[in-house]
Amino acid sequence: VLCVAAVCSAVPVSDLLDRASQRSDTLHALSTLLTHELDSHFPPLGRVIMPRPSMCHTSSLQTPNDKEQALQVSESDLLSLARSLLQAWIDPLTVLSNSANNLPHPAQNSISNKIQELQEHSKSLGDGLDILSGKMGAAAQGISFLPYRGGNDIGHDKISKLTNFHFLLSCFRRDSHKIDSFLKVLRCRAAKMC
Amino acid sequence: VFTLCVKAMRYSPPEKPVLTRCRSPEKETFTCWWEPGSDGGLPTTYALFYRKENSETVYECPDYHTAGENSCFFNKNDTSIWVNYNITVVATNALGSTFSDPVDIDVVYIVKPNHPEKVTVTVMEDKGWPFLRVSWEPPHQADTRSGWITLIYELRVKLEGENEWEMHLAGQQKMFNIFSLRSGGTYLVQVRCKPDHGFWSEWSTTSYIKVPDYFHREKPMWVL
Repeated sequence: VLCVAAVCSAVPVSDLLDRASQRSDTLHALSTLLTHELDSHFPPLGRVIMPRPSMCHTSSLQTPNDKEQALQVSESDLLSLARSLLQAWIDPLTVLSNSANNLPHPAQNSISNKIQELQEHSKSLGDGLDILSGKMGAAAQGISFLPYRGGNDIGHDKISKLTNFHFLLSCFRRDSHKIDSFLKVLRCRAAKMC
Repeated sequence: VFTLCVKAMRYSPPEKPVLTRCRSPEKETFTCWWEPGSDGGLPTTYALFYRKENSETVYECPDYHTAGENSCFFNKNDTSIWVNYNITVVATNALGSTFSDPVDIDVVYIVKPNHPEKVTVTVMEDKGWPFLRVSWEPPHQADTRSGWITLIYELRVKLEGENEWEMHLAGQQKMFNIFSLRSGGTYLVQVRCKPDHGFWSEWSTTSYIKVPDYFHREKPMWVL
């Protein structure tokens, strides 16, 4: 948890953003590690049948696609994008966590532990961003709802398990990079410049 | 007749080109390079084609010149992030065309900045003891001020004639002090940078600095 609500009210927004972007940095770095770990034992067929990134359940959310666009987005909208993405991953992270327990992969243990870390970091980042949004006014409270409709089961056979796990993780990896990028831009704006 | 025959047999469609790497120096533009295979003994042209995720439209490389031979440069307008590019190079001669294996890239995963700039090393003094102050600037393309890219820095320092570099991680600071210097020694200093998510840059060109002779009792003198 980034800080307790009572203490947080006294912490300046710039400090909160600093802490939040440290969390989001870790979150993305972890997802990258996980991706590489999975890659080490990925069935060649998996690469062929893996769904395209546009199939990610968060892909309908309109987000900036380059620096120029990102720097034009208001502070409250950037925060709202980050919160929407994070919120959208609560359910699928649970699915990942449950399926990591019997993932047919030689590094299953390590993957399972890292997924758990992802969940913990996401939770505490989410709590921190809730506090931030409370401080940034009504416009920052808005959140887009992006339901995950993939169900609890990621697959029956080895290849579909690994492929769907990899696919979900690659979606998370992209989204965590977005969250991290938005928060770091916000951090610099709050500090006036980096 | 024999030589003519051999020559004629040598002609063939070009060999498969290989997309070797793609790199973005600042999360705003990127370049891909390829290695041509054999040209089949005929004049061969190369073209790079790409398709972005969510679109069926195939585009040709917007700029074959800016990044040199066998490359394609994507400027800011042609670069989107968090979007996969599916890239293929096609080699064509009079006998046919050959396609490279396609490569899927998202620009955010190929960021490798240029090396830091304006590295300066000066000898400073603290209570009669000299130390080196190394300072530098981020590569000028990287927009660190808006927070679009965050860089951390690493230095390495070596006494002239020695083999081992001494490494120092500077974090996001753009300045670093180095103490415990050899009196009269010449030091080599280099700096490199890494984005928050990406790869280390090359090292900056070496800066040389000579430490003035001074009276001291540091260990290496005793050993000597």
